[in-house]
Amino acid sequence: MNDQVQMLLDNVKQFCEQNIRDIALNIERNRIPDQIFSALREQGFIGANLPSSSGGADLDRASYDAILFQIAEYSPSVAYYVYMNNSIILPLLLKAGKKELAADIISGKERVGLSAGNILEGVGIKTTFQETAIFPSNFMISAGSDGSIALLKGTFEESGRKSLGLRGLGIGIRSFSVEKTEKIGRKEDMEKIFVDSSWEQAAIFLGLSQGAIEKAVEYTKVRKTFNFPLKDYSPVAFRLSELKSDLEMMKFYLFSEDGDREKGLMLKTRAADFSRKATKYALQYHGGYGYLEDFGVEKFYRDSVALNAVMFRTDVDRRILAESIYKSKTGYL
Amino acid sequence: MDFDLSPELEDYRKKVREFALKEFREDIAQKHDLEEKYPDDLRLKALENGIIDFTNPWKTMLGIEEMCRVDPGLGISATVPYFGAEILLLHGSDYLKEKYLSKVAAGQKIMGLGVTEPGGGSDVAGLKTNAKKDGNRYILNGSKMFITNGSIGDFFVTLVRTADPDPPSKRHRGLSVLVVESAFKGFSSSKLKGKLGVRATNTAELIFNNVEIPQENLVGEEGKGFYYVMEFFNISRVFVAAQSLGIAQGALDMATEFLMEQEKNGISVSEELKFKLSEMATRTEAARLLMYKAASYLFNYKPNPTITSMAKGYASETAAFCAETAMEITGMTGLSTKLERFFRDSKIMEIWEGTSEVEKIVISRMILKGDGNE
Repeated sequence: MNDQVQMLLDNVKQFCEQNIRDIALNIERNRIPDQIFSALREQGFIGANLPSSSGGADLDRASYDAILFQIAEYSPSVAYYVYMNNSIILPLLLKAGKKELAADIISGKERVGLSAGNILEGVGIKTTFQETAIFPSNFMISAGSDGSIALLKGTFEESGRKSLGLRGLGIGIRSFSVEKTEKIGRKEDMEKIFVDSSWEQAAIFLGLSQGAIEKAVEYTKVRKTFNFPLKDYSPVAFRLSELKSDLEMMKFYLFSEDGDREKGLMLKTRAADFSRKATKYALQYHGGYGYLEDFGVEKFYRDSVALNAVMFRTDVDRRILAESIYKSKTGYL
Repeated sequence: MDFDLSPELEDYRKKVREFALKEFREDIAQKHDLEEKYPDDLRLKALENGIIDFTNPWKTMLGIEEMCRVDPGLGISATVPYFGAEILLLHGSDYLKEKYLSKVAAGQKIMGLGVTEPGGGSDVAGLKTNAKKDGNRYILNGSKMFITNGSIGDFFVTLVRTADPDPPSKRHRGLSVLVVESAFKGFSSSKLKGKLGVRATNTAELIFNNVEIPQENLVGEEGKGFYYVMEFFNISRVFVAAQSLGIAQGALDMATEFLMEQEKNGISVSEELKFKLSEMATRTEAARLLMYKAASYLFNYKPNPTITSMAKGYASETAAFCAETAMEITGMTGLSTKLERFFRDSKIMEIWEGTSEVEKIVISRMILKGDGNE
């Protein structure tokens, strides 16, 4: 890890301590508040990886990943918000020549969400649809059944149902009334962006894992059972040490490697699985208290599975990695 | 060796499933989960419809499984008003059975079990709540944590210290069980909110501040409390295995339905996903057989703590495994469906009634004593 990345990690940690730590529970309960959007914008995190000609900060891959990693340790929802804007929405809009809207997103004037599924039966017409939405907003980007990617403008209805995880983003099935649609690309563009951002996705998985592991390490130092702190028991101490070791090795890889696409896929695959394992043990070692939201560890457990659902397509991503290794069509049966 | 249930039990299983499918509607389950509200009407309906049948423990176990298969939060809520009843049944005086248990069986009262303490958790014998004898009553002080039915229960079968352990190293000595009414002066409770799962169930902290307990509320003999509670755990762990099995089977049902739908829509399902489904089904079946074995020992009055802990430990880990794997199979679709509730509900199975670690301690201890199995 170079000095620049370490310095950035320290700075982002300070930012999170000041802006996120005390309201992390509130983010879970009531979505990301406006003050966070303002703080992200002021800090230059939105657009951090984009070229300066597009209003970005032109950070290199490792530095951008450091931001995502560190924010995810405090709030995976906020980290994903930064990722979805910087790595998916803004590149798609800029590629489609939507510079004005991109600038408005970076400046905080507009917000755009993502919709899963194929809802564009008739691009250009008014329609209503129900689909899983990530960060439902008046602007949504969605894939269409005709192979296109479109920008939708309209309104959505809130739902009382909470998603399993990433609750700060208000993920859920939403009813969306579309007033205007505009094609901004093809599904292949989205697919490429998604696969090319494996490093960023891995950074979020690892940041979340670090948040959970650190909480478990601290808790097991002070929680006693049968007159000994939990850390004195070999299964607890050995398991948490193993998790911490795995995490440190993956962090080293994350911040040291050159950003090669295949290596990113490898890391993402390992980090996705690892996050589920790490958060599960972290919760388990908190016992009954881990089951309560006030202790802040159950959030990581939920978010690891939710992030796996939105960032790691168990079948598709493994096949892409396999094809990258075999250099031919593989793993399709 | 016959793996089939009797026709009577099969009929009962079908009856419970039909009840759960009819009454545990998704909107109801969602509402109680979101609002963290106990479904008292379902408790009474289950009782009125003969769904709760404590005359036959096999029925209790199968009923729990079938209800949790449809919805764990509602299923546990419908069966948990009787939590701790076995201690009274096995050791309570006729007076206590009549005064308390009969009311629970009639649906007029809800009971709970007070064992866990804020600093205790797995270390049951380390509890701090104490009851000092004062004439023909006890004066109770202390607190209990994570108590199911804590803020809706009418009385609690509570483990307390009535004497210093003798010698001090034998901490499990000097513990007794008292029946504590929530209406007693000095009793208070505080509902725990923001649970990850089983949010339809009620969980609270209990506070005892100089609560006067009549001597006749002592269950069994003074100083035997630890043994009563451990004996109870041998029973309740089989029922937690049933809760876990219900969750595992429910998650398997949903993953199966999802993949069948995919194939029906012409979407190819990879062997990788099919293998995951196979593993879910195999683990669920293995957990079921282990539970039946533990139940068979227990219900024939020869409990086997090793097998019971194996059944509870394995079934609870299977519940968490199946819920997580079903989430993996369904991807984004699962995030906002009832499956996500199963995932959240499943984790507590590895924690309550003895964590997975405690079950492993019991198993290894028994094996190393040469008292492991058969």
